Amino acid sequence: MANSRQDIENWIAKTAMGDRAAFNQLYDATCAKLLGVSLRILKDRAAAEDAMQDSYVKIWKNADRYSANGLSPMTWLITIARNTSIDRLRAGKNMTELGDVYDRIPCDARGPEELAVARSEAERIISCMGELEPKRRDAIEGAYFGGKSYADLADQFEIPLNTMRTWLRRGLQSLRDCMAR
Amino acid sequence: MTQDDTFMAAEYVLGLLDVSEHSAAQTRLRVDAGFSRAVADWEEYFAEMTADIAPVAPSVQVKRALEQRLFSQPATPWWAGVGFWRGLSFASLALVAVLGWQAMTPVSDAAGPLYPATIASVEGDFRVVVVVDKSVNQITLTRTAGAAPAGRILQVWAHGENAPATSVGLWPEGDTVTLPLTPVIADVTGILTIGVSEEPPGGSVTGSPSGRVFGTVDIPGVRDGI
Repeated sequence: MANSRQDIENWIAKTAMGDRAAFNQLYDATCAKLLGVSLRILKDRAAAEDAMQDSYVKIWKNADRYSANGLSPMTWLITIARNTSIDRLRAGKNMTELGDVYDRIPCDARGPEELAVARSEAERIISCMGELEPKRRDAIEGAYFGGKSYADLADQFEIPLNTMRTWLRRGLQSLRDCMAR
Repeated sequence: MTQDDTFMAAEYVLGLLDVSEHSAAQTRLRVDAGFSRAVADWEEYFAEMTADIAPVAPSVQVKRALEQRLFSQPATPWWAGVGFWRGLSFASLALVAVLGWQAMTPVSDAAGPLYPATIASVEGDFRVVVVVDKSVNQITLTRTAGAAPAGRILQVWAHGENAPATSVGLWPEGDTVTLPLTPVIADVTGILTIGVSEEPPGGSVTGSPSGRVFGTVDIPGVRDGI
């Protein structure tokens, strides 16, 4: 990512003030990444572009709520794009709508040291995911990128629903253990 | 946070909870800072799984359609916004009545040079009544709800259309502050946007809002003072 965290945070802050030029810069700097994420989920170019457009409408309208949520700016943008895409994928399927990421009580602001730790933890998840049993990794990715429910996953892995939940939670536990090392 | 809460936070982020569990978690996110942090942590971790996704440039039509969708409608006049009417407390009503009367006095000049507006946070925890007086290029802000967090101060920002936000001045204490408009802001005609953020004592060091922006308001039709 060529733009620094600080650039992106500044653009979001100015967007919150209704600054269209800053929003334009934010879009230009991040749209290709967000389209990549939407395309991975929806696997259809037109649907992914629609989802990306919806994501930027939400970003424009809710930029003033960014600072309170304790997320890094790219995570905030990616999570909006991912949730919007999953909701589109699930539309009409009578499934939970993921909805918005902004209507939350503010987390305590983190100091630079804590942020650095959180950042390196986030980077470590790639290697920790690699250490997971492949089926558990597939299940977590199936939920994050495929919008799969526990029922979908239980079908896919041909195990009972409750077993599926226990089994995925064990995967999450291994992830946490790995990241705590 | 129990172990179960931590898993619940992860399942919330992944979208694995059923509808009732999911909405219970959403409610909890509005009140439980620990749970909110756990969810933010998982979001941070899982978002990292997108690191190997290659960027894909969207077609130019997408940007055009987005701009059409967001900016083709004229800005809502201040008096038509729900927030303005909801924002009027008794005290601010009195203020606007007095200032509004002054504005109305020259009947031939009913549109200005006084522009009242309200800034209200979406969460409803912060509200300010704003009056821009173009006859003397001053802005007066009066708090009717909320305040800067302890150890922080308020800072007032403004910009014209397609211009970056610039600082109008600091609002370290008190319910009301009157600030002279900076030359750049005094020159703005058309839509003037005013915002308030909370910042460290001495103001933002970045030149842009660095803390929480409580809200902004667009004042359309601003003209030069007489």
